[in-house]
Amino acid sequence: MGSVIRFQFTKGPEVRYLSHLDLVRTMERAGRRAHLPIAFSQGFTARPLMSFSFPLPVGVLSEAEYGDFAFAADLGPREFVEEYNRHLPRGLKVLKAERLPEKTASLQSIVNAASWKIFLPGASAEEIEERWQHLQTVDSLVVNRETKRGTREINIRPFLYDVSHIENTPAGTVIDCLCGLGTETNIRMEELGVLLGFSHLEATITRTGQFNRVGNSCFPPLGNRG
Amino acid sequence: MDKRLLPLLPLVTKPARYTNQEVNAQHKNWAEVDVKVALAFPDIYDVGMAHLGFKILYALVNGRQDALAERVYAPWLDMQALMEERKIPLTALESGKELVSFDLVGFTLQHELSYTNILKMLDLAGIPRRSTERNGVQPLIMAGGPSAFNVEPLVDFLDFVVLGEGEEVIHEIIDLVKKGKAAGASRDELLGQLALIDGVYVPKFYKPVYDGEGRFSGLEPLRQDIPGEVKKRVVRDFNSLPYPEEFVVPYVEVIHDRVMAEILRGCTRGCRFCQAGMIYRPVREREPGVLKEQIARLVESTGYEAISLSSLSSGDYGQIGSLVRDLIEQYQPCGISVSLPSLRLDSFGVELAQEIQKARRTGLTFAPEAGTQRLRDVINKNVSDQDLMDVVKSAFAAGWSRIKLYFMIGLPTETEEDLQGIVDLAHQVLAWGREHRTSRRRPEVSISVASFVPKPHTPFQWMAQDSMETLRSKQNFLKERLRHPGIQFNYPRVEESFLEAVFARGDRRLAAVLERAADLGCQFDSWTDCFRFDLWLEAFRAEGIDPKDYANRARDWYEPLPWEHLSCGIDADFLRREWELAQRGATTPDCRWDICSRCGVCPDLRVANALVGRESDG
Repeated sequence: MGSVIRFQFTKGPEVRYLSHLDLVRTMERAGRRAHLPIAFSQGFTARPLMSFSFPLPVGVLSEAEYGDFAFAADLGPREFVEEYNRHLPRGLKVLKAERLPEKTASLQSIVNAASWKIFLPGASAEEIEERWQHLQTVDSLVVNRETKRGTREINIRPFLYDVSHIENTPAGTVIDCLCGLGTETNIRMEELGVLLGFSHLEATITRTGQFNRVGNSCFPPLGNRG
Repeated sequence: MDKRLLPLLPLVTKPARYTNQEVNAQHKNWAEVDVKVALAFPDIYDVGMAHLGFKILYALVNGRQDALAERVYAPWLDMQALMEERKIPLTALESGKELVSFDLVGFTLQHELSYTNILKMLDLAGIPRRSTERNGVQPLIMAGGPSAFNVEPLVDFLDFVVLGEGEEVIHEIIDLVKKGKAAGASRDELLGQLALIDGVYVPKFYKPVYDGEGRFSGLEPLRQDIPGEVKKRVVRDFNSLPYPEEFVVPYVEVIHDRVMAEILRGCTRGCRFCQAGMIYRPVREREPGVLKEQIARLVESTGYEAISLSSLSSGDYGQIGSLVRDLIEQYQPCGISVSLPSLRLDSFGVELAQEIQKARRTGLTFAPEAGTQRLRDVINKNVSDQDLMDVVKSAFAAGWSRIKLYFMIGLPTETEEDLQGIVDLAHQVLAWGREHRTSRRRPEVSISVASFVPKPHTPFQWMAQDSMETLRSKQNFLKERLRHPGIQFNYPRVEESFLEAVFARGDRRLAAVLERAADLGCQFDSWTDCFRFDLWLEAFRAEGIDPKDYANRARDWYEPLPWEHLSCGIDADFLRREWELAQRGATTPDCRWDICSRCGVCPDLRVANALVGRESDG
């Protein structure tokens, strides 16, 4: 019998400029090199049954990317992590994996929030702090978002849930924050920059977590799913 | 990669082109090797990563203990601008080292419209363009590939050129450079020794002579010990030749991103316009067992989801049917597809396509090249009207809905009737489609029409290219008559074909034009959006050279040609004979399956066709 494995992986500096499509292709090829018994969809254009959570912006690092792979044969999580890691290129590393119970909701249907760590070489913590204090007093900040279907106005303030930490280090300022993720509550990195007053092109950004946020509680897709 | 590029990456398109670290990329220790080779592709990463020749050389050089090979591609315009602004020179992908730190920088010459990119890459690398301006600290700049068979327009920028197949000669070159470096040989001493290697051409040891009217009248060797004619290298035992066990697996999407198996080399069909069909002779097919092993190793090391059986004409491989069936049986269950780059225009071609494309039968592509039987006989494209009809009908009947046909205009002896032939065929194919289709999709015909470019070492090498005006009016003739629902008509711009014709048969005087064009900003000439014909015309004017004299002038029968000292083994008398047969519409059979056409290659290079034997259904 087959199984579905959900796993968490990193996207390190070596592969930070891969687009989502590049990443999927790379993960697929590594799976084939590792001889993972990945199951295929039915029909003439068989596709490997692999799915991922929401795309990471190009250039952004991550400690918490997630994927679900369906296997045609039974494969234990520990065996999967070992075999797969041996064949993934540098920068992509599986941290943990779990067999999913049947009928678990897909990643994209449960993930709705992400935490980010933003490193700013030039900025000062005081300015960011001040900015965050101000933001907490407003409930609307409208920006123009360019999409394939044209430009539309969008209030991004509600999608920044929390800034949990702002710190000055000798090299620059570090910010930890929690934002919306997914089709409805998504916020782009340049928009986050508008909110908190930084240039996303100068920042080093890392996705540190992805969650199913219910009320004020956050549950990661692996482990304690709530 | 070069760390200096890191801050630029967020500012450019497809930054992963420049980041390296791909699976199977080779990072050798610079301190431990003697000879460092940069394989420089004169176009962007996305195009260059498809080049099989460089994959072969990369594996061969890196397979040596004493040498390393790294890859270099032209940065795209956005990256170039940033590099120039911040004074960051062009570097190799693997080590990030500047090109000047290599011993050899080898460019591949795939087509004429890539020449300005070579100059641009030298500029970006901070290497003087002209061979005479380079000194001991600069790497030796070499070149090879199909366009090396008339490399004259480029020779001022190159130190040496390799003709023919590189698998053996690359080792001889590296050995020589290694020994020369150890002995402290000067640049000139090294070049003097390189000129004695079979297949190596050192242009500076030859002097062109022009007659009173300024026409090229020959090339004189300046040294007694070098050959008057440089003969191409050719590998005799194709089966025992090493083939890469790994391909570098790119992250970004590149063209031909798959396992490529080279199933055969060379083609003897003898299409009279085709340079590849002349310069890569003889035909050597790889044993199916050898191929299957090579493919298995590559699938294992790359994880690719597709396998392509590459060659000039893969449908001609003696055991293509059983090979394709075996591969599909083995790989289809693992989700790995098998494909052929080109299909034979006969019923067997469609049968094979049926094996390969079990699903999604949308488009099939064929190349009749000319619209009438008469003209197809002139160009020795041995395809009959009957073949065409059978193929198209059976393709529609098997479920395909779109047929793509490749043609050429401006071929020697072409008349309006031949153009009308293309039009009639397009409409005919559509009618056959309506009659025989089994797909629910409406039948479609796509007609692609290239302009003929006379190429050196072909029976048409003496012919004039039609003027741009004539070609344009022929395109218009077709455009008016192919305006019909269900018919798509595509044609490249005549200016590009014209420039290609100029440089294909150019001589050393074109170096000045090339340099001027590069100064004016010409590069990526094969990218339609980058092609600046106005700047090219300005460059020709500034150098006082009439490009029409190169493209549109028929050469005299016994006029000295600038590429005659660069031999692919083909006898000039064979080419003349073929031209005479062409004028009579007489065809020449393929020597693989019929009598020898006496092209001269086998006796001259002491080689022979090596075939795997044919299946009964071939």
